[in-house]
Amino acid sequence: MGSKKNSYSMILAIVSILIVFVIIKFVAPYAFMYLLAKDHTMPTPSTLMLWYMILAILGTLVYVSTSDLKWARFLSFILPAGDDKIKALFQKMIVLAFPLLVGWFAYSGTVPGTASPVELRIQHPTLLQEFEKLENPFANADEETKRRCIEEGKHLYQQNCRPCHGSKADGNGPFANAFRLRPINFTDPGTIATVVENFAFWRIKEGGPGLPNVSTPWDSPMPAWKDVLTDTQIWKIIMGEYVTAGVVARQREEIEH
Amino acid sequence: MIKLKPFMDFTSKKLQLRIVFTLFLAIFLLALATGTGMAQENVEAAKTTEAAAEATAEPAEATAEPEPEPEPYEVVDYRNFFGIDGRLIVWIISQLHLMFAAFVLAVPLFVVIIEVVGMKSGDIRYDNLAREFTKLLSAAFATTASLGGLLAFALYGLYPAFMRYMTDVFHPFMFIYALCFFGEVFCLYGYYYSWDLLSKTPKGKWIHISIGVMLNVFGTALMMLANSWATFMMAPSGIDMVTGTVTSLSHAFANFLWMPVNIHRIIANVAFGGFVVGAYAAVKFMGSKTDEDRAHYDWMGYIGNFIGLGALIPLPFAGYYLGREVYSASPVMGNIMMGGAFSWTFIVQAILIGMLFIGGNYYLWNGMSRIKGAERYTPYIKYINIIIFFCFAVWLTPHNLPLSGEERALIGEQYHPFSKFFGVMAAKNAVVNLLILSTFFSFLLYRRANKGETKPFSSHGRGARITLIIAAGLTVMYLAWYALGLRGLELEENILRYVSPLVTCLVIQIIAIVIAILLAFKNKGKLAQGFLFAVTTITAIMYFWYYGFVVMEKANLVLRYLSVTQVSIVISCLIVNTIIDVFLFKNAKEVGGIQWGKIPHRSQYALLLLCVAIVTLMGLMGFIRSGLRMNWHIYGYMQDTSAGSFTPSIAYMGWTVSLIVILFLALVSLVFWLAGLADKKKKHA
Repeated sequence: MGSKKNSYSMILAIVSILIVFVIIKFVAPYAFMYLLAKDHTMPTPSTLMLWYMILAILGTLVYVSTSDLKWARFLSFILPAGDDKIKALFQKMIVLAFPLLVGWFAYSGTVPGTASPVELRIQHPTLLQEFEKLENPFANADEETKRRCIEEGKHLYQQNCRPCHGSKADGNGPFANAFRLRPINFTDPGTIATVVENFAFWRIKEGGPGLPNVSTPWDSPMPAWKDVLTDTQIWKIIMGEYVTAGVVARQREEIEH
Repeated sequence: MIKLKPFMDFTSKKLQLRIVFTLFLAIFLLALATGTGMAQENVEAAKTTEAAAEATAEPAEATAEPEPEPEPYEVVDYRNFFGIDGRLIVWIISQLHLMFAAFVLAVPLFVVIIEVVGMKSGDIRYDNLAREFTKLLSAAFATTASLGGLLAFALYGLYPAFMRYMTDVFHPFMFIYALCFFGEVFCLYGYYYSWDLLSKTPKGKWIHISIGVMLNVFGTALMMLANSWATFMMAPSGIDMVTGTVTSLSHAFANFLWMPVNIHRIIANVAFGGFVVGAYAAVKFMGSKTDEDRAHYDWMGYIGNFIGLGALIPLPFAGYYLGREVYSASPVMGNIMMGGAFSWTFIVQAILIGMLFIGGNYYLWNGMSRIKGAERYTPYIKYINIIIFFCFAVWLTPHNLPLSGEERALIGEQYHPFSKFFGVMAAKNAVVNLLILSTFFSFLLYRRANKGETKPFSSHGRGARITLIIAAGLTVMYLAWYALGLRGLELEENILRYVSPLVTCLVIQIIAIVIAILLAFKNKGKLAQGFLFAVTTITAIMYFWYYGFVVMEKANLVLRYLSVTQVSIVISCLIVNTIIDVFLFKNAKEVGGIQWGKIPHRSQYALLLLCVAIVTLMGLMGFIRSGLRMNWHIYGYMQDTSAGSFTPSIAYMGWTVSLIVILFLALVSLVFWLAGLADKKKKHA
């Protein structure tokens, strides 16, 4: 048994986990910066770092225990190194690194800091019942009327919404940087394209103050426009806004009753 | 060789006592925690009612008459259960009932199939296995019925007004339900107690199997009847939405979400049943004292996992279908579900589903160590593992990440690219399909681990050729039918042009299937399978991942067709590759047998994990399906005006679902233990 070559599978496992860490922590921010043509890096959020690293560790442990042989080889690294100097060195490194890592976690978790709290946000607040059955009054209008509404809506959008949501509806208005939570980028297919028009109507009309109590705090500086704009104007803005952003609202589907 | 002592000796009385005590303690603490949460709500509610009562009491005293009038009969709409909110009680009882019902409905489905396999192959092991499963079934049946009765009493007692209306609408079906229940009872007992009697002759065996089939018919009918009540509450139809008058009973019964829920539940029940019996086998395996028992329970665990995984593969598709129909029934309910108040529960769901896929694969990989010849395929495991964990990571990445203010400032926009590209449906659909393809690939490796040299295709005769052509032909016909359907869609011109890439992908898949079949005929079966896997991955996973974003942006109405196309392509690959595999390894030389019973204990813990994961998943999804109605009994018609009609917070939901899971596992363990008592007696005798 003594002459048998030592297995380094534990070291390989640790190296694999470290590679995943380096990719998520250091490579991804720069990769996104170049791919998305940003002028700054896009650091991976701490929550995702934690989740992805848990998965990486779990994945490695799953792999090394897929057979008795692999598991035994993995664990064998903690057995005496004998005359294998490299193994002895690695063992010492592990013995030192592991408590240091645990210590660092304990320290960073308890050290007093000034970070703002992480919020568990949800995408869409629950739409109030009275808004569910609403319908855009121009939905069934003729093409000419629709075209006119869209043009009017675009105009109203630029007048009222542009300062925050930007002239291209990309969330880059002149005031955008003043908010902690930036205004929504409507050109992103994950935003207004995923909701029906009524939802947009509700959000414009009632704004941040009209958000429901569940899932608070919402942290939305969106004003309630009901005192400034008429319902017709809001519908027109919605039509213009979707065209400006180049996306389409979620369509209702016909169901048989 | 030194025989290692097992990590845990499940036969030890001391340990069993400790487990029972721990379970009791856990249930007690959970009940205490959930009760405290509710009690706080109740204290506040009580204060307001007291205040109101005091306010009304004073003038009453002033005008008090010497002879009190007899108190009038008061019709109440809501009651609580000794101070505990009715919703919590109904939630716990209905979920427990559903879990037992899932087991009781699923097990006969595969028991009959196992019995048929046993009869056809002449292998007595299958017959014994089917019988052992039925023994568990009859033990669980009474508990299901008791919980069902309790549920009915709880509903009628705690929600009298709501149940009065439901009874008004559905009373004819309630009688049919009762009749079906009788049918199921007689079939179950007939099936279980006539096993020996009818096993003597082939004709008798067929009668026995027919009773089993009837058991399934009654069981499925029961489930479908009850489903229609639950789905009516989510998407009511056949009634006047203002007055509540029934306009069409058949529409109220066959409402919009009825069929999607039926399909989803049947498949989910099978997965549930499979994993629960898998866990039973795992416990028995670890407690076995003889090699014979170990071999038997190892095999039983393998069958349980096989059934569970087999049903788990189509489950995401059925779930997607149901989800899509929820969106169709009400876009608002859909948004609440995936993007609103329930979106975080779907992250929990993602974790549980990921655990199921990983657990299932892990069990298969560990199982390969008991097959001689498997070492040829073990190198692939690391790649499958990487793919599965990558899919898991994408699958659970939320669109709306929890971010700190500093992180938000650093990112400079609403969404980090990870959540932008991984967090939406286009990405989720792609990875879940990849997850399914990888699990299927794992299973193919497991299947061929024992197989050596294959026979040329021509040696299987014309029958094989015809079977392959028919199966592939049907698959191709389905794909062509769907492609033609897409061509004929009546949509606006600017949306319709986004449909043509889907048709192209379907045509590519059809061509790929034809090529794969021709390759299989030329004795290049492995190449054919690889080719089909590659084409499917390129079109259905990689291309559709990208194309999903395009469609989301420009024509989200096409997203539903995209998902169905994606699923159809993946399923066609699974079907054709399975059939090629069957003939590829038919009569192939065996490298070395499977050494049943020689599997590491780790794999048995994986089986236990699978069981816990699926029970939790069912508890969670039950909450979501029912909770989506928010503060409505019948969505859009009858509002829930009771104090408990709030949507619970995730923490509160977590406590309650955990309590349900522990209660179910404790009950099921008790029931299985009782079912095993008779065997112990026989052994001692």
